[in-house]
Amino acid sequence: MKFINETVTIVRKDILLELRGKEVLSLMTFLSLLLLVIFNFALDLDKVTVSDFAPGILWVVFAFSGIIGMGRTSMVERDEDAYLSIIFSPASAESFFTAKVISNLLFLLTMEVVTVLLFAVLFDFEKLVVFFPRLLPSLLLGSLGFSIIGTLFSFLSTTSRYGEFLLPFLFLPVVAPILLGGVTSMDKILSESSEGFSKWMNILIVFDVMYMVLSLILFIHLL
Amino acid sequence: MNMIKLLNVGKVYHSRPALKCVDLGIEDGTMLTLFGPNGAGKTTLLKILAGIMSPSEGRVIYSPELSRHGDVRGSISYLGHKNSLYNELTVLENINFVFRLFGRKNGKEAIEKTLREFGLWERRRDPVRELSQGMKRRLAIAKGFITDSRIFVFDEPFTGLDLRWRDTILSGIRALKAKRKTTITCTHLLEEGYELGNIFAFFHRGSLLFLKRRDEIGLNEIKERFRLLEEPGR
Repeated sequence: MKFINETVTIVRKDILLELRGKEVLSLMTFLSLLLLVIFNFALDLDKVTVSDFAPGILWVVFAFSGIIGMGRTSMVERDEDAYLSIIFSPASAESFFTAKVISNLLFLLTMEVVTVLLFAVLFDFEKLVVFFPRLLPSLLLGSLGFSIIGTLFSFLSTTSRYGEFLLPFLFLPVVAPILLGGVTSMDKILSESSEGFSKWMNILIVFDVMYMVLSLILFIHLL
Repeated sequence: MNMIKLLNVGKVYHSRPALKCVDLGIEDGTMLTLFGPNGAGKTTLLKILAGIMSPSEGRVIYSPELSRHGDVRGSISYLGHKNSLYNELTVLENINFVFRLFGRKNGKEAIEKTLREFGLWERRRDPVRELSQGMKRRLAIAKGFITDSRIFVFDEPFTGLDLRWRDTILSGIRALKAKRKTTITCTHLLEEGYELGNIFAFFHRGSLLFLKRRDEIGLNEIKERFRLLEEPGR
């Protein structure tokens, strides 16, 4: 119960901060729009080929917008050493980390919903909206893994002077299995092929669990 | 009984020693004031005492009633140079956040009382970013007081405060003594620091020069120590 109360208190605070500042979501959404417009101009995709390219384009957008957004959420904690309020409270490192993962996941999913809609409009690809409910489990699992590693690395990077510069270089190699799982499972759904789909979903689950356990251990030491 | 004990503690930043072989025991109910010129290692010592910085050498031992398995979360309140506030949240939201993290309920009255005491009740619905530096400092201190921790660590608590609020904070910290709390304060304001302490530690270039009780040293002697250190060649 204590763990849940602490986690909810921190998530509530993060949502309030975002409602006030609107920094993370506006930054992520603007970046995703910019990337989609660039892809739209650079790639000449017709109704057939867009289905093949959609998973890759979408996950590139999710990854880059997500990195920027998560970097910002950890900077909010480091500004004015605000996170010390949590460090010096009885709240456990586990609830602190879990709360930050949940907050980042919520922001990430919101950005992803907007990105999917923008993609459907810009690329005239209605199928993406129709198939969205079926995409949700894979999006959720992929985003969860992304959010776990992103939360850990964004905290690691804010402790360094070159943190924001280093984040993508440190983060992307580690999160590669999640990106592969996310792209492939989305591709399977859009191409309506069930072959290998459950295998990729299982891979995402395994990596999510593994990343959560390892990140928690590291985060406790980091604090 | 020692709440915190430092054994031969030292800290090195990029091969420059900031703290050298400090041995210090802080008993329950002590009001310790740290004095020393800039760069004496006071802030480093406070961070090590509070557990947010690891010493390069030596050991910090917390009493069992203060920590479970070396974890002092919830037992120490720390006010550093920065105010540890969320600028986009309002005064009330900041203080409510801390109150909830401490698992305390029905805090309306306690929060109102504290905010009134610190002159922030009228500004409770304003975002922290709109407050003056002095108000932010007051809120940071109020936030600490509401936690009811065992040990209070204050690093330059009077920064940005005018005389009126300096007196209020002084009384607030003094009131902690009546509640048998332990306070560790570091300040450049000698009069205020002397008024707050019952034990005084004087640091210079990372070394603890002396540790004396109130009946062993007067304010004038502390001032004289500062004057001597400011002499050229020292």
